Amino acid sequence: MKSRNFVNLNVNPCKMCMPLGAVTAFKGIESSMVILHGSQGCSTYIRRHMAGHYNEPIDIASSSLNEEGTVYGGEKNLKKGLKNLIQAYRPKVIGVATTCLAETIGEDIRRITEEFAVQEKLEGIEIIPVSTPGYGATQFEGYYTALTEIVKKVAVDTEQNGKINIITGNISPGDVRNIKRMLNLLGVEYILLPDVSITLDAVYKSRGYTKIPEGGTRVEDIRKMAGAAATVEMGMTVMENMSPGKYLQDEYQVPLYRCPLPIGVKNTDTFIRLISDISGKPVPPQIQEERGRLLDGMIDSHKYNGEGRAVIYGEPELVYAVAGLCLENGIKPVLISSGSRNDSIQKLLESGPEYPEEKILIIDDTDFETIQEYAVKLKSNILIGNSDGKIITEKEGIPLVRIGFPIHDRVGGQRLVYTGYDGSLKLLDDITNTLLENKYEKYRQSMFERYYAGGRDNTVNQTELKSSLNQSTAEKTENHPCFSSCAAENARMHIPVAPACNISCNYCSRKYDCLNESRPGVTSQVLTPEEAAIKFVEVRKKLDNLKVVGIAGPGDALANFENTARSIQLIKEVDGEIIFCLSTNGLMLPYYADEILNLGVTHITVTINAVDPGIGEKIYREVNYMGRKITGVDAAKILIKNQLDGLKYMASKGVACKVNIVMIKGINDSHIGEVVKKVKECGAVMTNIMPLIPAPGSVFENMPLTNSKELNELRKKCEIDIKQMYHCKQCRADAIGVLGEDISAEFRTKGCGGCSMEVENNPGGTYTFAVASKTGMMIDEHFGHVEEFYIYKSSASGTRFLEKRSVAQYCGGEEECDDGETKLQRIIDTIGDCDAVLVLRIGYRPSKILQDKGIRVIQTCGEIEDGIKYAVKQLYIAKNRLGSAV
Amino acid sequence: MSRTNIKQRVDKTLEQYPAAVYKNRKEHVLVKNNTFQEPQTITANTRTIPGIITNRGCCYAGCKGVVLGPLRDAVILTHGPIGCGFYTWGTRRNKGKTRGDELNLLNYCFSTDLQEGDIVFGGEKKLRQAIKEAVEIFKPKTVFICATCPVGLIGDDIHAIAAQAEKEYGIKVVAFSCEGYKGVSQSGGHHIANNGLIKHIIGTGDKVVGKYSLNILGEYNIGGDGWELERILKKIGYEIVSMMTGDGMAEDLKSAHKATLNLIQCHRSINYIGEMMYTKYGQDWLKVNFIGVQSTIKSLRNIAKYFDDPDLTARTEQVIADELSEIGPVMEHYRNILKGKTAALFVGGSRAHHYQHLLKDLGVEILLAGYEFAHRDDYEGREVIPSIKADADSKNIESLEVSADPEHYRVFLSKERYEKLKNEIPLNYYAGMIKEMDDGSIVVDDLNHFETEEFLKILKPDIFCSGIKDKYIAHKAGIFSKQLHSYDYSGPYAGFKGAVNFARDIAMGVTTPAWKFVTPPWKKEPMLEGSLVG
Repeated sequence: MKSRNFVNLNVNPCKMCMPLGAVTAFKGIESSMVILHGSQGCSTYIRRHMAGHYNEPIDIASSSLNEEGTVYGGEKNLKKGLKNLIQAYRPKVIGVATTCLAETIGEDIRRITEEFAVQEKLEGIEIIPVSTPGYGATQFEGYYTALTEIVKKVAVDTEQNGKINIITGNISPGDVRNIKRMLNLLGVEYILLPDVSITLDAVYKSRGYTKIPEGGTRVEDIRKMAGAAATVEMGMTVMENMSPGKYLQDEYQVPLYRCPLPIGVKNTDTFIRLISDISGKPVPPQIQEERGRLLDGMIDSHKYNGEGRAVIYGEPELVYAVAGLCLENGIKPVLISSGSRNDSIQKLLESGPEYPEEKILIIDDTDFETIQEYAVKLKSNILIGNSDGKIITEKEGIPLVRIGFPIHDRVGGQRLVYTGYDGSLKLLDDITNTLLENKYEKYRQSMFERYYAGGRDNTVNQTELKSSLNQSTAEKTENHPCFSSCAAENARMHIPVAPACNISCNYCSRKYDCLNESRPGVTSQVLTPEEAAIKFVEVRKKLDNLKVVGIAGPGDALANFENTARSIQLIKEVDGEIIFCLSTNGLMLPYYADEILNLGVTHITVTINAVDPGIGEKIYREVNYMGRKITGVDAAKILIKNQLDGLKYMASKGVACKVNIVMIKGINDSHIGEVVKKVKECGAVMTNIMPLIPAPGSVFENMPLTNSKELNELRKKCEIDIKQMYHCKQCRADAIGVLGEDISAEFRTKGCGGCSMEVENNPGGTYTFAVASKTGMMIDEHFGHVEEFYIYKSSASGTRFLEKRSVAQYCGGEEECDDGETKLQRIIDTIGDCDAVLVLRIGYRPSKILQDKGIRVIQTCGEIEDGIKYAVKQLYIAKNRLGSAV
Repeated sequence: MSRTNIKQRVDKTLEQYPAAVYKNRKEHVLVKNNTFQEPQTITANTRTIPGIITNRGCCYAGCKGVVLGPLRDAVILTHGPIGCGFYTWGTRRNKGKTRGDELNLLNYCFSTDLQEGDIVFGGEKKLRQAIKEAVEIFKPKTVFICATCPVGLIGDDIHAIAAQAEKEYGIKVVAFSCEGYKGVSQSGGHHIANNGLIKHIIGTGDKVVGKYSLNILGEYNIGGDGWELERILKKIGYEIVSMMTGDGMAEDLKSAHKATLNLIQCHRSINYIGEMMYTKYGQDWLKVNFIGVQSTIKSLRNIAKYFDDPDLTARTEQVIADELSEIGPVMEHYRNILKGKTAALFVGGSRAHHYQHLLKDLGVEILLAGYEFAHRDDYEGREVIPSIKADADSKNIESLEVSADPEHYRVFLSKERYEKLKNEIPLNYYAGMIKEMDDGSIVVDDLNHFETEEFLKILKPDIFCSGIKDKYIAHKAGIFSKQLHSYDYSGPYAGFKGAVNFARDIAMGVTTPAWKFVTPPWKKEPMLEGSLVG
């Protein structure tokens, strides 16, 4: 997902730099010191930040490069620094990590440190150089890179020792202690790297304070990692080139098992099982008891957790593990984000069984400004992450549960235990309690206002009245196939009673009523209100699932208001339950608003393509308003004003309002976000962004096409603001049936009879496709307009272009339609050997004929290659469906 | 401990260094000896020794973090990789409060977040775009661009970009070449920031100001210090034209040249502006210290002397009397708790001096004081400036030459009055820290981690005033520590009411019951008394 970082300005960073991660890793090695090769500010800043979190002295040396070192190289400074460091601290391990400065001037720290060791005749001191440019990545990558370099340099003893290597993620010393406790309970022998449990959270000693803190993984143990029985690495999101476990596997054949940080029941299960399986030791009763207690707690608090809408941010490994805990407790993670660039979080989560139906927004490489924006939009009520997120708490009042690094505005960040079954329960309790605290802060007042004060106050009464109206509308919305994707099984009927239109849109063509076209504005016949009512009765006899009667033109429902109103009244007389739905351009909406309400219309769709008259001017050629013909920007001004006023009014009366927006590349595509925001303000409940169909004969006939990827990206973006319709089929004005399966032809005097649309044939593994394309790049032609089909063959080995096959066009409008039959037959003969035909649009009849012949029809748009991929998938599914039935 | 004794212990500590380091460090440490006829000298503002863990920061820290950072109406855009911007985000506790619908960007961090590709191919394009985005989103009147280490090396011309952006958007855009490796500490960054503000900001405004008008220079409003000063000064009747830069606005700075007098609180970080405004606009500067009750009183009286107005002087005395009556009893209470305690201070370039006054108000004795990044004049007084030799590092920081501004140059004091006053108050002068220190106390420049541990062992002070990096060394040694960079989330400590806060915090820290448990009872005496029952 695109975030602000791909722009140019990072506002409030959600990440730190690589050297900080490297320092953290080295702090978990016994008797170690780190020197950063670069300007001294790097050391000072990192010491400052780590001291604030761990509340311990953090000694990090610096080569203190200055202008001279920058120009002539920093070798002298680094060697001098190493020498002084050894003299004052006597460490056994020295990590030498680079910074932006050293990397930019191209310092070869490997050579310098090797040379230094020889010159000084160093013995018993491991110097481990790590390249960590601040601009290279974040602290997350710095941490694992340093660990890998440590292992590469030190782990050389391949003698089998039967121990398990444990690579911990960047977790608190408290968590490291807890992991060690679990390993000890399991009774396994292990080498844990890095062990910050004491080094970064030391005990107070009145005497015996040492310059280098006690604790840490011993160098002797790291040496033995090459001969361990297995490596368990907490690093599902760690790239292979910076994974110490992967190195040990490749270099010394130590089997690698990866697991998430043991946060949450499932992730802890994974860890405990891994250790138990590898070691053959049973899970001890105490750990089983802890698991049981966690489950007991999860069940106790699930009611409150269900209300949680969490924004999780931080290092990839941590957010992945915390997301797992949230998901298994019914807390919805509305946003999972990291400042690090990492696409594995998404892949891992999507493949998990708890992944919810509603998509989770996952953003990597982002900043807090972006996170804040989404936290508000997505109505988050809890933040989970480090202290830096407090900026969102301060500005938006969303409470924060602190986890990760840095925690500098509270004490105890270094002691937090959120791992294991016991720690997970603590984290869950903290989250639940934060939700409760936030909820009950104004609990009494909100209850009073809602249930008591409301009954005595007239204005509130009005609101309640309105909300009850809303409720019945809401129920109806559930059943409306266009407003609710869950109502797909319900049928609707468009009655073409409104032929006239009062505006001229550049994308519209109502010139000819071709039976084989399916798009708005097209109908085969116009009905009078009486005819419409009779047709309704006919259709209802055949369709039990008919729930909605809509008026969608072919002109504008309100430009023919008498017909519209009369039709609705007549149908209402025969069926009082039916939902009435109007589709309009909105020009006359304020004028007829009250009458529409009196008719009992509960659903309205207004097509609003622009809210800026400057842009509207490019879309609308002419507006015919109150007997005046208006053109240019004035036309757009009047139209937009009426659209928005009407929308606002209808919405305020509890009518469910949907807004259709035609996405016209180069005209309004970048403006649609604004339209969406504006109509939301006016009370629209959802928007339906539709691709432009360049109708022949319309002004936009030759406009570029929008592919489905662009369309869905835009919808996804706008989804943050308002619900999106993804299932629009851009129906005809006389469509009948469930969405996408127009059976209007059954009810016409002419046209083909009702036939089923089953997939007839199993095409096998190699497919041939006929593609309707003008240029050979995009699927951009209507079936009837094709002069040449592009023929592609797709098999396991790939897709290749075979040839072009020329056909005469068969569709030239109604007057030519009589001999269309033979032409159609000719086309079908041309592509008779194909498994499927890929077209932008196709009429019902030809589509039916093709399907009868076993040629699958796939309506799509975008690049041919993508279309074919999609088609292959469709054919594969169809094939399997058939196979399972046999 | 006698002076000689201390001197021996200090020498012994330094002798643990390798020879070259010893030779360097011994010039940075002295034991105050009041028997000397000649003033004692110290070495300061020279290169940090690599590998011994210094508390100093970098040039960028001084420019972006210290001087520019507190301005709340400017977008301060860090041009560089993410770390530098991140580490200076809200870490100095310089408070700011928006009045009305003013723009407040204080809790924002802006960075161009340079990536590998930008280092290879240059970051100019990204910077240009980032400025555009910042201007479009936040609509500031001022944008400051601060360079980090790689910028100077990859050759991005940030000044040209700033000039171009200034023209394009019709707002102030100023670039600061404060790459981290420049100079020897954050001090170089202060100077660079001072130069930029003088060149591009100060003198461009035309606010109308009155006679009793002041700029407060070098007050960064840590924990709200600046607000306490403003309260007192306004109570007396002064007009504050601008605060440099705590809770300050670039918009206010533009008219700073209109004020009558400049007060300088932190001499180190902002004396360049004071001096340049003296040359360019004729404004005198007065060294003040609002840390400590007695020093606050003295500073207020000095300001009144400068204006020499009987009404103003009377009001000054009235305010002092009012404030004292309010805080007197409380201060006395804390003084009783703290009297006779000892302290060591190691902070910045001014605070290690300023806080000695407040601690002395409370009866605390100072055993050691040192600065991180000060120059010799901060230790020995401005009289030594002519004798400070410029070295390669100081030459790398531009020394801006200014001359009298024909339009705005004006002098407030008559020549006679100036000469007379100069002997009475620190007019355009700072006497430094050493002169006021007690015999036998230690003065140390650029104290490092090793020396901190050693000196604390020798001196065993009750109070160690420093920053967060060395705070926990003191804690491990069982010594109460007080952060004087960020005040441990407390403050204000300046002025009259601030002094009470400080006294309370120090008394609280020294007497916290937790210290009593440091030695477990089983190490002190047998736990159980009595005999076994048979």
